[in-house]
Amino acid sequence: MTTFFVVATAAKLVLFLVGIITCGALMVWVERRMSAMIQDRIGPVRANAGPFRLWGLVHIAADGLKMMIKEDFIPRRADKLLHALAPMLAIFPVLVTFAVVPFGPTIDFGHLGSVNHLGPLFEGRWATTLQVAQVDVGLLFVLAIAGTGVVGAVIAGAASDNRYSLLGSLRAASQLVSYEVTLGLSLVGCVLVFGTLRLEDMVLWQHHHTWGVVVQPLGFVLFLAAAIAESKRTPFDLPEGESEIVAGYFVEYSGMKFAAFYLGELMEIGVLACFLAVFFFGGWDVPFLRADGIHLSLPMLGAKFWAMPHWSVVLLQLGAFGLKVCGLIFLQMAIRWTLPRMRYDQLMELGWKAILPLSLANVAVTAVVLHALR
Amino acid sequence: MPYVVKRPERDIWEQSYIPETVRGMGVTLRHFFRNVIGRRDTVTILYPEVQRPYPPRFRGLHRLTQRDDGSPRCTACMCCQTACPAECIHIVAGSYPDGHPLAFVEKYPAEFWIDELRCVFCGLCVEACPCDAIRMDTGLHARPVEARPHLMYERNLLLSITDAKGDVLTANPRKK
Amino acid sequence: MEEYREEELTLPAEPMLLHMGPSHPAMHGTVRCVVKLDGETVVGSDVQIGYLHRGFEKECEWGTWTQVFPYTDRLNYASPLLNNIGYALAVEKLLGLQVPARCQYIRVILGELARICDHSVCSAAMAMELGAFTVFLYLVKAREWIFDILEEVTGARVTHAFCRIGGLRWDLPENFADRVRSVLPKSLEAIHECEQLLLRNRIFMDRTMGVGTITPERALAWGWTGPCLRSTGVAYDVRKAHPYLVYEDLDFDIPVGSQGDNYDRFVCRLEEIRQSARIVMQALDKLPDGPIAVPDDTGILLPQKLETYTTIERTIQHFKIIMEGIQVPPGEVYSYSEAANGELGFYLVSNGSGKPWKCRVRPPCFANVQALSELTRGRLLPDIIPTFGSINMIGGECDR
Repeated sequence: MTTFFVVATAAKLVLFLVGIITCGALMVWVERRMSAMIQDRIGPVRANAGPFRLWGLVHIAADGLKMMIKEDFIPRRADKLLHALAPMLAIFPVLVTFAVVPFGPTIDFGHLGSVNHLGPLFEGRWATTLQVAQVDVGLLFVLAIAGTGVVGAVIAGAASDNRYSLLGSLRAASQLVSYEVTLGLSLVGCVLVFGTLRLEDMVLWQHHHTWGVVVQPLGFVLFLAAAIAESKRTPFDLPEGESEIVAGYFVEYSGMKFAAFYLGELMEIGVLACFLAVFFFGGWDVPFLRADGIHLSLPMLGAKFWAMPHWSVVLLQLGAFGLKVCGLIFLQMAIRWTLPRMRYDQLMELGWKAILPLSLANVAVTAVVLHALR
Repeated sequence: MPYVVKRPERDIWEQSYIPETVRGMGVTLRHFFRNVIGRRDTVTILYPEVQRPYPPRFRGLHRLTQRDDGSPRCTACMCCQTACPAECIHIVAGSYPDGHPLAFVEKYPAEFWIDELRCVFCGLCVEACPCDAIRMDTGLHARPVEARPHLMYERNLLLSITDAKGDVLTANPRKK
Repeated sequence: MEEYREEELTLPAEPMLLHMGPSHPAMHGTVRCVVKLDGETVVGSDVQIGYLHRGFEKECEWGTWTQVFPYTDRLNYASPLLNNIGYALAVEKLLGLQVPARCQYIRVILGELARICDHSVCSAAMAMELGAFTVFLYLVKAREWIFDILEEVTGARVTHAFCRIGGLRWDLPENFADRVRSVLPKSLEAIHECEQLLLRNRIFMDRTMGVGTITPERALAWGWTGPCLRSTGVAYDVRKAHPYLVYEDLDFDIPVGSQGDNYDRFVCRLEEIRQSARIVMQALDKLPDGPIAVPDDTGILLPQKLETYTTIERTIQHFKIIMEGIQVPPGEVYSYSEAANGELGFYLVSNGSGKPWKCRVRPPCFANVQALSELTRGRLLPDIIPTFGSINMIGGECDR
């Protein structure tokens, strides 16, 4: 383990943690601003920094400050330890799953200016992959960690000593566990096609062949549905269901503990957008852009090639990844502000009777086709 | 004639969720892009900075109209106090002394209180006034204040409030 | 699976008692449902009303006949003009008074505009409670434009206090017809957008179809009226069955449902908005000229202002009406009209003084909300929300 490796990993870790938390805070703004634009409102613009309103961006800071100075209320008969533990448990999987997201190809600080002929992923003295942890069982790691998300919700509901919370945590438990199954199964098709569990290799496959959404369109729709259900947002926001069970499992939380739940949920949108991009939209892949430059092969013009320096390729690919994530966040937000909420039994029916069989069928069809093609 | 409202069939279009979700997103995103890229079409306004003009008939805070010499039009007849369903008007009548230029009207409001917090802004007092002394055409609404007494309006304050155009006079032609 | 009875088990599960409301997002702050839950299934529910009781009927006995108008604004605060009209009609019936044609037309126009407001806000609230927040704001936007018109006419957005016994407070402003003709299509367009968002959306259909179903017989037995009754297929509308004002001369249809579930109630309301818009447009075309109130010499309405200012006879008449109230002959009357939620009845008793001796209101949603317990028993907890929303319980009217 070289010093460079340690420094690079630490840098990536810090960069990423700061990135996600900023992203979560920004998501608050995006959600408010976007819903306002959809609903013909102005949206929040009241908070300002002197003369600057910045389209309501200052509200993030105002909210953060408010959350910090608010009373941290714990119900009298609540379990104090579990009540305090639950928000941490709820935010933990979101932060951890981010670690395996490959948000860019390998970058070599020794050869930033030259043309890279080694391909997107390589090893070198000053090279590091833009991914915090390269885990061999990447996908399994993601699913395993995401599966612990239910614990925080259940503990929060059980520890709050509130009947609405109890109902909310019961709903959360059954919903998350049910959709966990589909979440994994809808990705099995991808795993079969890509032939790997490593997230960076999945992106590499898509980089060399074609995007996942082309080979797994059904898998994409199913994963999107399951992902929204996992992040507990409309139309699957039953554990919160503010008009039914008030705020569900976090009804008794205030201050920073509430912020942990709230930010956790919003960051989860970001995480899911990352995974959707990695599994189905080629991650950092830009069409026609290879590690050494742009390769175009048009039927009229024949093959063309423009060489590009290493740094510009990496920058373009990082930008592409960001753009894809933003687009997928936009998609999730648009769905949230369009659809009404489902009912508990209908949600279960959808999960077990529609999405699960469909994802099984997707796996079977993918396997058969792959076998036939071999 | 009665007619039975439509209930949609449930075929694959509806049952598969996706087409209708896409159609719904078409509606919401049309609004989104119109507001972000095109002309802003918001219904809400940034209130204290942007103010919606109130229509001429808007019943706002009260005012007492004045005669040409600045004395109150009101003759303390108690009509408004009687007609008020919220009992928010309190008048103490005084009488002009003999020899006073306005002695012919005999009475005037020595005190005139309106509790704007109690008022329901129904306009019955304006309707009940036989000499156009009380009006609600100020174009002002009751704004939040820090203490209750701030919205207890007394005679001189009411007399000083103008209508939306800045006028303090009245339409009553009698004995100006 | 073998059938078992909970209480025969060694460790029986007890139902959970959940107090929904009055401070619950879906209960509007005006009602409490104490629900007994077995899991999420509602075993029984106790709907407790009265959180907005203000003693309306007793207050009326205190005020003169005219002073009741501001109180009626606060009955069904989603459509105050319809209450104004209902009360004015009741007193006029007791007086044996017929208001001029122009006044009748204006009442119809304003009443139908108020009905559009009420139906849109009811549908909006129901949609919002189902999680469709965008629909809520689109419908409220549609209502907002109509509120602007009503404000120009009456001088207030909600608490209009616009009707008077024997007439109206004011005539219509000059550009009224043009304003309505330009705004109403815009509002209908917004409502159409909401239909696009919801009516064929499976999630919405699943949540509302077959939920809160009631048969016409049960609905009639509970005393239901209005859109809720019509959603069961009973085409009873006071405007058609016992026409008042000028509804006979106007061409409109009654939308009825077939199943009597939440979906039918929702769609019936949206259809009624279309019919109301039709009525408004026709009435605007037919609007006659003429006085908006009965003549001054009947001693019902306050005399013309300019005459009051300048002549002693009119001043005396003015004082008599203000100080003593309108002289309504002794007697009693029950008058009913089609308010937004159904049949709004006023039962008035006069003893010849200037004040109502008794003013009893038959609020339509009081009857409707009685059935809520029956409609939700055996269903899931989330089903209470659209059912309650589609019944459109308005606290001001129900609790009085």
